Amino acid sequence: MVKYALFLGCQIPMRLPSIEIASRRVFNILGLEAVDLLGYSCCPEPVVSRLLDETAALATSARNLTLAEDLGLDMLTLCNGCYETLAEANEALKHDAEKRSKVNTILRRYGREYAGKVDVKHIVEALYEDVGLNGIRKHVTKPLKIRAALHYGCHLYREYKASDIMRKPNMMREIAMQTGVDIIDYGLERLCCGYPSMQADEEFSLKHRLLPKLSRMRSKGAETILTICPACTIQFEIGQVMLRSYGFQFNMPCINLMELLALSFGVPHRDLHLELHRSPVQQLVQKVLRVS
Amino acid sequence: MAVSLEDDMVNCVREGVGENLVEAYKQRERRIFVRVKPEAFRDALYAIKKRYKMLRLITISAVDSGLDMEYLYHFHVEGAVLTFKVTKPREDNTLESISDMFPAANLIEREISDLFGVKLLNHPQPEHGLVLTKDWPDDKRPLRKTFEGILPPQARPVAEALISSGCVAPISSFIQRKREDAGLPKSPAFTFTDEDAMREFHGILRDVGLAEKTGFDWEKKRLRYK
Repeated sequence: MVKYALFLGCQIPMRLPSIEIASRRVFNILGLEAVDLLGYSCCPEPVVSRLLDETAALATSARNLTLAEDLGLDMLTLCNGCYETLAEANEALKHDAEKRSKVNTILRRYGREYAGKVDVKHIVEALYEDVGLNGIRKHVTKPLKIRAALHYGCHLYREYKASDIMRKPNMMREIAMQTGVDIIDYGLERLCCGYPSMQADEEFSLKHRLLPKLSRMRSKGAETILTICPACTIQFEIGQVMLRSYGFQFNMPCINLMELLALSFGVPHRDLHLELHRSPVQQLVQKVLRVS
Repeated sequence: MAVSLEDDMVNCVREGVGENLVEAYKQRERRIFVRVKPEAFRDALYAIKKRYKMLRLITISAVDSGLDMEYLYHFHVEGAVLTFKVTKPREDNTLESISDMFPAANLIEREISDLFGVKLLNHPQPEHGLVLTKDWPDDKRPLRKTFEGILPPQARPVAEALISSGCVAPISSFIQRKREDAGLPKSPAFTFTDEDAMREFHGILRDVGLAEKTGFDWEKKRLRYK
């Protein structure tokens, strides 16, 4: 059985626990063992923290990485933002002796030392590399006939070991295809959803990032948005509500890949608490399951 | 070996204020900066006034950083320039006069008071009206900045939640109930669920000075500005 130290991050357990529920069910079905990290903190979040103070951000990431080192396990993230922050910090600390020494001087005061012994993996990598597409497909008992527009999320393009930035997005696409969804290409997959720019300019974020994506997805006939990142999910769900005040009406469901996998594996939708979504995910799933 | 004038000045201040001397450095020959805690500033002045006969107040500079007021007292000391740096949080909007010790401070302090809107303590003429009119509105002092730190408004809740709890998305009781319904613990094993982890996390943030940089108040566990 493949075993990881699970880094849940902030947004999934605190705001979108349906993704955590779905992920745990999927791990169980696929035989991935995820050991919870005890006493972890925010990765820290990549928009504000890293711009504020590099040493503070690196020391916080390093502390989280040492928790996985204590378990002797590679770290697994379910969130694109956590992935980028932790993987980037891991790379910086592994290869920059000056930064590692500075951070370890701080950590040693608390009985910790970053040794650079673990890797950070995104969930799509673990699913693709450790389980494989065949391993996933054989568990699909309820193929979902949904027209889905994929949104990979900017941080999924970050690569630290290879040069192909489409490596993880392609993995996500192929994994999604195993569930039976019909993927709708809409041409704006690379455009940011606008989540980070909400910190600076709400109107820009909504009208120049979110709106073009939603408009194109709808015009291409997508029934749902399919994401892997919780921050993007929040932007798509809350952003649609906020766009109403600018005169734009959208009500598209936004489902996470882990939820989609759980549903296609036959996990009852009620067990997933999809009602926690702020978009009509539950209605979509009920409709699709009635039809099939 | 003879002690240099610069070292002698620092030693003199250290003897006068002890641990209240925060930092001291020589920028170049005969140019010294000494930072002391506000509560020890007068003791530092007594010490140098007693030690050096050739001592003159050149001027006082005031800098409003948004969260703090920094006062720089420049002295001519036996051919060198010594600057005392004293920082006070903006929540304490007072400036204690040194005009009883250095009469030349009188007008400078009044000018600072007019332009920045700080209240003078123990000053012979503490009222406003030296460089501005007496009826100048208190909330429109020309050199006074808005009370805020480096974080833009949208980033403040994120930074505040991160520093205070280690998590940027505080959990609601509704979500806690839903998690329990689903067989999950009320909250994942975050720093704030464990005292030792929280102490360690806060210790790291203190060590890197993130709270000072952002204007976080450890006692109240929130940012000093909205």
